[in-house]
Amino acid sequence: MRLRILTIGLLLVCAGCTSMGVQPWEREILAKEEMQLTTDPLEAATDDHIYFSKEASSGGRGFGGGGCGCN
Amino acid sequence: MAVDVGVTDMSDSKQRSISATLAAATCALLGTTAATPVDAQEEPRWDFNTSLLYYGEDDDRVQDISFKSIIRRLYADDRTLSLGLTVDTLTGATPNGAIRQDGPQSFTRPSGSSAYTEPAGELPLDDTFKDTRVAITAGWQQPAGESGLVSAGFSASKEYDYLHLGVNASYAHDFNNRNTTLSAGFAFANDSIEPVGGAPMPFTNMLDVGDTSNRGGDEDKDVFDLVLGVSQVISKNLVVQANYSFSQSDGYLNNPYKVLSFVDEDTGDTLPNIPGPNGGPSGQFLFESRPDERTQHSLYTQAKYYMNGKVLDASYRYMTDDWEIDSHTVDIRYRIPLGETNYLEPHFRYYTQTEAEFYRLSLDSSALLPPFASSDYRLGNFDGITAGLKYGWKTRNDNDMSIRAEWYQQSGSVPTEQFIGNQASRDNYPDLNAVILQFSYRFSR
Amino acid sequence: MTKHRSGRQVELVATEHGWAGRFWAMGSPCEVLTDGGDKHQADVLSSVVAAEAWRIEDKFSRYLEGNIVHQINTSAPEAVEVDEETAGLLDFAATLFDLSEGQFDITSGVLRAAWTFDGGNRIPSQKDIDVVLRCVGWRHVKWNRPFLTLRPGMEIDLGGIGKEYAVDRCAALARDAASVESMINFGGDLAVTGPPTTRDAWKVGIEGETPESAERLVDLRQGAMATSGDARRFLLRDGVRYGHILDPRTGWPVPDAPASVTVAADTCTQAGMLSTLAMLKGKGAEDFLAVQDLLYWCRK
Repeated sequence: MRLRILTIGLLLVCAGCTSMGVQPWEREILAKEEMQLTTDPLEAATDDHIYFSKEASSGGRGFGGGGCGCN
Repeated sequence: MAVDVGVTDMSDSKQRSISATLAAATCALLGTTAATPVDAQEEPRWDFNTSLLYYGEDDDRVQDISFKSIIRRLYADDRTLSLGLTVDTLTGATPNGAIRQDGPQSFTRPSGSSAYTEPAGELPLDDTFKDTRVAITAGWQQPAGESGLVSAGFSASKEYDYLHLGVNASYAHDFNNRNTTLSAGFAFANDSIEPVGGAPMPFTNMLDVGDTSNRGGDEDKDVFDLVLGVSQVISKNLVVQANYSFSQSDGYLNNPYKVLSFVDEDTGDTLPNIPGPNGGPSGQFLFESRPDERTQHSLYTQAKYYMNGKVLDASYRYMTDDWEIDSHTVDIRYRIPLGETNYLEPHFRYYTQTEAEFYRLSLDSSALLPPFASSDYRLGNFDGITAGLKYGWKTRNDNDMSIRAEWYQQSGSVPTEQFIGNQASRDNYPDLNAVILQFSYRFSR
Repeated sequence: MTKHRSGRQVELVATEHGWAGRFWAMGSPCEVLTDGGDKHQADVLSSVVAAEAWRIEDKFSRYLEGNIVHQINTSAPEAVEVDEETAGLLDFAATLFDLSEGQFDITSGVLRAAWTFDGGNRIPSQKDIDVVLRCVGWRHVKWNRPFLTLRPGMEIDLGGIGKEYAVDRCAALARDAASVESMINFGGDLAVTGPPTTRDAWKVGIEGETPESAERLVDLRQGAMATSGDARRFLLRDGVRYGHILDPRTGWPVPDAPASVTVAADTCTQAGMLSTLAMLKGKGAEDFLAVQDLLYWCRK
């Protein structure tokens, strides 16, 4: 329940962010590969799989790739 | 072809083709009768991303060598096809869930066809698993209207005792001059578990070699995932995102190979068992039992901050589920450019989780059996720390290569109230020490 | 007699697939890429192309005194008799003025006086613009081939067609003069004489639609490509961005113009015109391009 309130709160804050941001011609730095939210999808998928096999939590960033018998 | 180019209302959005008139005017200008028609085609691009991974735990535990490849084909209009292939080869041993004893122990292999032993005082490990796993993914992504992006895909993987089949789809929409992106996605999977020897009846004893009377057949489970996310550009140098994930699993959630030691109420030692003539367990071990349902909620937040060429990537994830497991994950990467094309990236990750409600170190033989119980260390109370370093560079052909080395250490603890008798004096929790080495190569054609 | 200004030279370098003759003309880095091995041919071809480019630059540049454009711009209200080549360009400009309903206008150069696109925030007042607008408008020009008469204060500027015209002229020369195929590229406005033999097509790279998109690769076997626009030249005031493409009918920048437009067409002149007209359509750029039934790239 507390998690639900926290999540809704965060999404509302972000919805209120409609005035925040940059103009299209100011995106030079944001366009760099190293500033993408997932810079290395292969490394991210590898880590997701390793920690899925060794811990009880999974994902967060998204999903995809599927399950395995390694648990 | 005559084209009417009369005066049109400036607000008229219907455009007319002017090609013919323009072509005629150009021919007049250049003094040619007709130009050869243009022949131009946009090339679909290929993007290859491949890696080789080595994962190795100490104490003869799991070792994995994995080849991973994602191929993307970029078509005109930002449409993308992605194909992924992963091949894993696993060897090594994994804890079978029984506790250490002062004397040697023996266990029947999952197949039921032979037994294995563990020396005195050692953590019991089952080394049956030498397995190859192949996984494939396919995905399609394309723009939807001015600001939308839709994607769909499927995934499948196969090991000798496991089959996964899944589909996924998601939609993302840009707002506010592409400064805000809202996304929603779901995935649905059906996994079939075909345990070697058949799925054992929960809470029944591990039997002698050759006795499969408590074994069933194959099992399956369904997993449904939902992700809602928002990403927001804060400034020229800072972008953040937050995701809420929901995951629901139903069906066979047990690990068919794991047992719990059935122990004496005073000494805490495993009740003995005389193995049969062909071999068998040296003690009483009960196969674990987990609920057939699990609901998880996660909140994930991430920020990427650019500071004069260096990039800080920090994320936090909180997970809670109805098995009463809570976890926190903090992950920090700091990318430092070296020269024009190379970089160094140290990485630190801290993970902590509390044990599942039904996590038990062992089962007290004098007490009523709880509804569910598992001694799988992955459901226990532990901290995990990862520290690593990645180095990346560009080849002569302007392609990307990188290598990284990481150390992952898990150290756990059993809740003290679960200790019975002699157990308190032993090191019961199977701590993990692993090394991760990965080499990646990325190139476009 | 070919008179070259000091500093004009052609540099020849070897490339993976042939030769590249490089020089500077019309304010842009220019190159002649030949398909194949003969160095001498590439050298001769590059010189011929460079000479033609400089000839056109000298004849039609508004920065040089003594050429036909300068004569036209300083003779008002007297009529000026122009040669065949200039007359051809003026006919073309007249047709384009009609075809674009007044958005393409070679007399709009004087609007420069009111606007400075340096990323700063100084924008002219409507009064300043109205003053300059009195000297803008092809309909005020008397064009009776070969006589051109401007109103006092008016000027013509062939910068909007000059480069693409030069590319097409040079491509024609290259087709006649050489036995190998070549690509004439003046600062991104380019044309090919024909498909290369050393590979399947000429490869032209274009920036992606958004800064995060991958660079696109185009296989060009016949025809030409041209790009309009420049994301770096603009004014910023009160959060509103004024791009540098001015609408001659109003004197104001075209609102919501794309950052740049690239078009592939039969000739560089056509490609250049289509990309310029698309920019002038502002928000309607993509609709306009979609109807013309050709390959284009709109970058926002």
